[in-house]
Amino acid sequence: MQHRKRRKIYKPELIKKEGLFTKIKKNKLAYLLITPAIIGMIFIHLVPIVSGILMSFLKLNQFTLKQFLKAPFIGLDNYKAVLFDPTSTIRSGFLDALRNTAIFGVICSVSVICISLLLAILLNRNFKLRGLARTLLMTPWVVPSFVVGMLWGFMWQNDGIINRVLVDILHILPKKPFWLTGPMVLVAIIIPTIWRQVPFVMLMFLAGLQQIPDEYYEAAKIDGANAWQRFRHVTLPMLRSVLSIQILNGIINYVYSFNIVAMMFGHGAGFPGKYGDLLMTNINRNSFQIWQFGTGAAATVIVMLCVMLLVAVWYKVFQDDLVVKDN
Amino acid sequence: MRKTGINYKKRKKIYNILANTILFLFVFFAIAPILWMVATSLMTQNEIVTGKYTVPSHFENYIEMWQNINFFQYFKNSVIICASTTAVALIIATLAGYAVARYKFPGSNLFGATVLATQMVPGIMFLLPLYLMFIKIQETLGIRLINTYPGIIIVYSAFFIPFSIWILRGFFASIPVELEEAAIIDGCSRIGAFVRVVLPLARVGIIATGIYIFLMAWDELLFAWALTTSTDVATIPVGIRLYVGNYQNRYDLLMAAGCVTTLPVLIIFFGLQKHFITGMTAGAVKG
Repeated sequence: MQHRKRRKIYKPELIKKEGLFTKIKKNKLAYLLITPAIIGMIFIHLVPIVSGILMSFLKLNQFTLKQFLKAPFIGLDNYKAVLFDPTSTIRSGFLDALRNTAIFGVICSVSVICISLLLAILLNRNFKLRGLARTLLMTPWVVPSFVVGMLWGFMWQNDGIINRVLVDILHILPKKPFWLTGPMVLVAIIIPTIWRQVPFVMLMFLAGLQQIPDEYYEAAKIDGANAWQRFRHVTLPMLRSVLSIQILNGIINYVYSFNIVAMMFGHGAGFPGKYGDLLMTNINRNSFQIWQFGTGAAATVIVMLCVMLLVAVWYKVFQDDLVVKDN
Repeated sequence: MRKTGINYKKRKKIYNILANTILFLFVFFAIAPILWMVATSLMTQNEIVTGKYTVPSHFENYIEMWQNINFFQYFKNSVIICASTTAVALIIATLAGYAVARYKFPGSNLFGATVLATQMVPGIMFLLPLYLMFIKIQETLGIRLINTYPGIIIVYSAFFIPFSIWILRGFFASIPVELEEAAIIDGCSRIGAFVRVVLPLARVGIIATGIYIFLMAWDELLFAWALTTSTDVATIPVGIRLYVGNYQNRYDLLMAAGCVTTLPVLIIFFGLQKHFITGMTAGAVKG
């Protein structure tokens, strides 16, 4: 990474010899420049996160909401209600949402990465309509996600266009399935999510592909590597840093997925059902419809810990790919 | 060393035809839903319900959608909120991004790590406490933040700053320090060098980040639903739901509104596509 080297050239030894106070004084301008960002992050990130964690130990419902942090302290009861108490309605909803989100996340991550990689490879050739194809493939990502949810919710309706095409025109299915209730809901939310996410990931892969020098492929060809071997031993290794970043992006995106699903069912007011409810829609509904902020905060903390665990695993696996090598 | 045999050429041709077929099949899947949205926005509600489609030409929907609900107000709110957010977040993130890229100061690593860590926290984690904090602030200090422009703009700006810092940092780091040093030797102040040398060079990155912030703000749902509920400040995702629901079922108008909502971002994105794509991919590849 060029800038690291340059920074070292900038003032290499000075940094080590000086005391902390001189260093702070020397970098006055830097502190001045980050001050506005820090103020914003303290008030809108740090304070809310800390109070959010505190809230997960408080009895916060419609009666105690106004007391905020002075609401009665109930220890781990919220966590118990979310995870262990078999009589609590919050728990069964949360566990359903957890299962759905896991399935949803795995299917979306894998399909988005495979489809995007395929499309990036297909786009990374010289052909006449390349610019047009890329532009058209990008459009789903530009459509706002709440419009995506609304549009697909409309298309999935029982007498909507998808059923008309599948059943009335193509006769693929014998009778019109219910996409928006029952087990098919998960399909109905996975497809629009993939549809909207592919363009962006494809663009990142395309940028990665364009950085691979042609000579590598030429050399592989001379060595007698076939197309698959060239993909396996040249393309994939060269894409590892893009791939690892997109996997991380995927983990965070899909676990925290909200907009499309929320908009598809009753435009935010509805319930996707036990087969389609995701963690974020579940927590949002429990918080703002039945005003259970305490359990909502506890559930959020649990989800956040799960994501941190996933990110830690991701870091262990992809640690070595994150360093961009200098040529 | 190129193979020139007829067999090779033939295989190459077949590969290209196959590749183009697959590619344009995906292009079809990508744009078909959007075309359907445009088509239904030009149908009558009756055509949509019965499925007896004619040539979509019912342009009256695009007039009626503004009268049926006060869509113009929501649209205006969204423009004001997103434009202000973009301006505020971009200025603050540019300053901080530059500082992180250029200075190695005590705490700079911690700051960088914090910026990244915020991305792991879900929006609802901020929303629940912020919502109650805003109520508390209104009660104790008398400052209204729920259902006001400043309230939502502050939240959005702060929310998009960390990621913007991260992208911009990469751009500033890729500008050679020597250029600034030369400007300083020529008599520029540090700030003068930043404004005259660095900012113009980082233009592409700043534009890309700006588009990104605007798109994200335009798309934001969770905070808007909780913090902007009254018509005078509510954004499009809050208002657009009124076309369908308890009182009416106007999918024709909903789709027309969907098209109108998508159009500005489509224009911004494709108008500045070149900047955006170079910007985003440069930032992403450099990491």
